[in-house]
Amino acid sequence: MWREKERTGTSPALSQQLLLSIAEELKLPLLQIARQAEQASLDGPADLMAIRTTADSALQLLDSYVLGVRLSLERAQLDIESVSVSSVLYDAGQQLDALARNYGVALELNVAGRFGPVLAHRQGLQAALVSLGAALIEALPAQESAQLKLQLATHRSRYGIVAGLYADTRQLSNEALRRGRRLQRHSRQPLLNLTHTSGAGIFVADTILQAMALRLRTSRHHRLYGLGTVLQPSRQIQLV
Amino acid sequence: MAHILLVEPDRQLAATYRQALERARHDVAVAHGAQAAIMAADSARPDIVILELQLVEHSGIEFLYEFRSYQDWQAVPVIVQSQVPSGEFKGSWQLLQGELGVQAYLYKPRTSLRQLLAAVEELNPIKT
Repeated sequence: MWREKERTGTSPALSQQLLLSIAEELKLPLLQIARQAEQASLDGPADLMAIRTTADSALQLLDSYVLGVRLSLERAQLDIESVSVSSVLYDAGQQLDALARNYGVALELNVAGRFGPVLAHRQGLQAALVSLGAALIEALPAQESAQLKLQLATHRSRYGIVAGLYADTRQLSNEALRRGRRLQRHSRQPLLNLTHTSGAGIFVADTILQAMALRLRTSRHHRLYGLGTVLQPSRQIQLV
Repeated sequence: MAHILLVEPDRQLAATYRQALERARHDVAVAHGAQAAIMAADSARPDIVILELQLVEHSGIEFLYEFRSYQDWQAVPVIVQSQVPSGEFKGSWQLLQGELGVQAYLYKPRTSLRQLLAAVEELNPIKT
């Protein structure tokens, strides 16, 4: 067991738990598609765009999971490069846009201020942010938030450059995240204050970030609460 | 026609269930969480409640305790339609059925819209 933990970065029990979370999580999009198809058979044409977005989002979660496992296995030879956080956030926003519209969530990009490049595995960072974003988009309406707004944002902190997703919801707390990680093995709804699902998207993001030697953590952006990660600035000279 | 309170945390599923119930000529109020459900019950005066147990912050069971504490709502039929398989709350079924007055349980992933509508018709106190 110790060897397995060393190789993959997570214990076998935790890997199985993540798989279980994903299996539970994937029931939701499949259920949405099944019921929308049934509804269309009773009552006229289906909203094919919504169905496609739901399916795409489920596939994205699976891809992110696979990437997380792959990065964990290849941890020693990760392709860390100099990455622009703003462009990763922009691309993540593009990927989340249709899902946000399905859920009536307004997605905003806030990359005000000039930050230099950071050191990261670009694909991993983007997958973690998308995975996190999809989970929060689905969770926001269920939290009864007054505002259905999610902001992809970056700011400088004393620890480095923070990139994350922020909303006007106090449920995004350190305690909620800590308890969720602890309950992941035991509960079908470990992030009880955050989401009605298994929270697989958040745990997948956690796994990807861990594989890149980063941490998923709670943070504040202006008056918003969020989840994100701290990235280290790249010392590479910027030519532009 | 019945006034139905649908307590469903997922916005997309709620929209689909609402469409199906409205097509069957029911009047539907939707709440995504327990607190909103209590407020919605106050204004919608439901004849039937369809409830998911896995909600954010307060569970469906907490909602039921609060809901049943009001005299007006003690006899309102409740259908639990949940992602939680029945086997997982075997121990609390007596509580749900007895103390909290749950009339029917449907496992959401295996319940078609037709089956949901049939359950509603069966429990609808307003027969047309």
